[in-house]
Amino acid sequence: MSTTQQGTHSLAFRVMRLCKPSFHVEPPFRLDPADLFVGEDIFDDPLAAANLPPLLSSQLTKSMDSSDLTYGNRFLLHHPSDAMGFSGLLLLPQSFGAIYLGETFCSYISINNNSNFEVRDIIIKAEIQTERQRILLLDTSKSPVESVRAGGRYDFIVEHDVKELGAHTLVCTALYNDNDGERKYLPQFFKFVVANPLSVRTKVRTVKETTYLEACIENHTKSNLYMDQVEFEPAPHWSATVLKADELHPADNSSTGEIFKPPILIRSGGGIHNYLYQLKLASPDSAQMKVEGTNILGKLQITWRTNLGEPGRLQTQQILGTPISRKEIELQILEIPSLINLDKSFLVHLNLTNHTDRELGPFEVQLSQNSAHEEKKVMINGLQTMVLPQVEAFGSTDFHLSLIATKLGVQRISGITVSDTTEKKTYDPLPDVEIFVESD
Amino acid sequence: MDEPSPPTNQFGSLNDVAHELASLEDLASRGSWRSILDKVSRARSLNLLSNPHDHLIYLTYNVLALSKLRRFADASTDLDTLDDFNSHYYKYETYPQLYPNRSGSMLPFSLRFIHAQLPIKLGNRQEGLDRFYSLLNFIRQKIKEKESNNLHDSVKIWKRRENFVLNCLIGHHLGDKEFILCLDLIKDMINRDYLDPLLVSKLGYIQMQIGDIEGAKGSFNHVETMLNEGKNDGYSFLSEVQFKNLVNRNKALVYVVGKDYVSAVREYEECIERDHTDVVAINNKALCLMYLRDLSDSIKVLENALERVPTRALNETLVVNLCSMYELAYVNHSEIKRTLNNWIVHVAPDDFDASCIRV
Repeated sequence: MSTTQQGTHSLAFRVMRLCKPSFHVEPPFRLDPADLFVGEDIFDDPLAAANLPPLLSSQLTKSMDSSDLTYGNRFLLHHPSDAMGFSGLLLLPQSFGAIYLGETFCSYISINNNSNFEVRDIIIKAEIQTERQRILLLDTSKSPVESVRAGGRYDFIVEHDVKELGAHTLVCTALYNDNDGERKYLPQFFKFVVANPLSVRTKVRTVKETTYLEACIENHTKSNLYMDQVEFEPAPHWSATVLKADELHPADNSSTGEIFKPPILIRSGGGIHNYLYQLKLASPDSAQMKVEGTNILGKLQITWRTNLGEPGRLQTQQILGTPISRKEIELQILEIPSLINLDKSFLVHLNLTNHTDRELGPFEVQLSQNSAHEEKKVMINGLQTMVLPQVEAFGSTDFHLSLIATKLGVQRISGITVSDTTEKKTYDPLPDVEIFVESD
Repeated sequence: MDEPSPPTNQFGSLNDVAHELASLEDLASRGSWRSILDKVSRARSLNLLSNPHDHLIYLTYNVLALSKLRRFADASTDLDTLDDFNSHYYKYETYPQLYPNRSGSMLPFSLRFIHAQLPIKLGNRQEGLDRFYSLLNFIRQKIKEKESNNLHDSVKIWKRRENFVLNCLIGHHLGDKEFILCLDLIKDMINRDYLDPLLVSKLGYIQMQIGDIEGAKGSFNHVETMLNEGKNDGYSFLSEVQFKNLVNRNKALVYVVGKDYVSAVREYEECIERDHTDVVAINNKALCLMYLRDLSDSIKVLENALERVPTRALNETLVVNLCSMYELAYVNHSEIKRTLNNWIVHVAPDDFDASCIRV
């Protein structure tokens, strides 16, 4: 991984990536004396049960006694959980490992003087070079290291938040005076590649006034990722609530309930987890927010953790909702009489609003036929087409439609449709409205 | 008993229990596994073992020694010389003259454990796990049997074995990074009242390994509460010093996660002050010094430990860490690693895996 120029240098860089250490785990062959010296059912015998324990525990005590140089602790169990082979011993990272966008690159850098002479006035620099830029991590130009004795070392630790994908090079350089007074230059290069840890797929669905955002996070790394925080940051005027499934095990034993709740852990190499958000436009005056074209909902901020809490952070690009079609005309029912009698006409109060910035109309209002061509039970009483005059820009007009119901019980007013006679445009009909028709 | 009572020194010393058991045990404590193989081989070829239980115990030591020396295939072959473990050949009641008034299995339980662990070490993980889970069922049956016969001492022993096998399983699943499964197993153990500070601490380490830091802190707080309330259940064998050190080490880990290595070192030093053989504290302290840019002192801490308390400090993980530090500190690190290797060869037990030195 390291390349250096040939030549006799007194100094050399040694580099080790310092991600967090990990816990060592290896279930051992360690035994309880009661499982080794005697038969497994011997304690059924009351004589054995009475006399064996002192003998067995004295063996254990011997193995724990540190003044007695014994390796008993490598073969006898002092505690059943010793069998797990997981004592809390930490292990230094044994290889460079993989590194991902959003993580922090941390490295121990040691510059060694492996010559027999002192080296003086050392200017040390460490930089990260990517395709796009050079980032300076360390520079001792302003206060050079005075000297490093023969066999000595100068150490430093550098950190860099990884924000680019692809090839990276850690460039370490030292400018120094060697024993002959010659000013020498030592560059060393350590290459690594940054990969993408996650991909996020989103789906947006709108149901009436609510927009639902489903986000699927897929883990491309070699470790399991603990999802520490996944938050949706809505765009201005939007609010977001995360929707969670009901807890699968609600009635937990309280002692374990205190201890932990199940973590969200996405399996390595292709595991996924889904998040569901409910988004609403914050302002009630939503009509003004509906601009034509794309609709920015917001973005996802993701913080994950791996080994010993090593964090990584990414945010997605802006997530877009479905484009909102511009509503030019809005037709609403304002009032329906509470008492509707069979075969008796009744008036429905409606309002037509023009949301555009120009005059529209004149209009025609009708009850359109439904696709089954059934005879309607609620019809217009009188002329089947009502004509409305033009409506000014951003203006509205109220009118009444006279209807008559020909059947008792729960009926529907369906298919109230408005058309613009000038532009020859018919808008979507109003949704059905239920009414109750009583007899006289 | 109305018969002439058996000699009361039947369990007075190890040699009463089995032929020259004291010698076997001494060799095992010193890690002289090759000598154990010699001793067993000699005993077998010279027909020194008269009783069936002696044969079984010698077989157990032999299989254990082969396993310790990482000769897993040989260990497996030796184990296979046994009949079905539940055969009547291995029951006390089959030999009433030798074992009057005694019934049940004379098979040392370790054989069942080694039988389950060997396939895993041989790379046949699924077979090994299946054997462990079968063993768990077997143990639970035994517990029920003993309970219904009011054999309280046996119940205790078999429950300890249940605890032991569960811990083995968690260890193996952990090694395979099956973390959620481990959490479920520990949760199950806690529900069965195997609530003890070491287990809860290990739950915390698993949570930390996953990255669930808040969960880990919760577990560690639980352990500290147990210390303050004087809770230390019958299985724990934790002395006061060990308990306090456990709490300090847990605190140190939280500092390590927060990158506050100075505070972590302080916690570990408190542990070492109380117990200078606390190798986990020593090892982890050295790592923290390294993360504090003090490679020289981190090396010194580990070298001193090896010198002062070799039989406690000499473990493969500590040596791997020391070698990593040497590789960073010295351009010509082969020499210093060879020196370490030469020292280890003289001091280490037979089962020490010297490949960790990477000479």
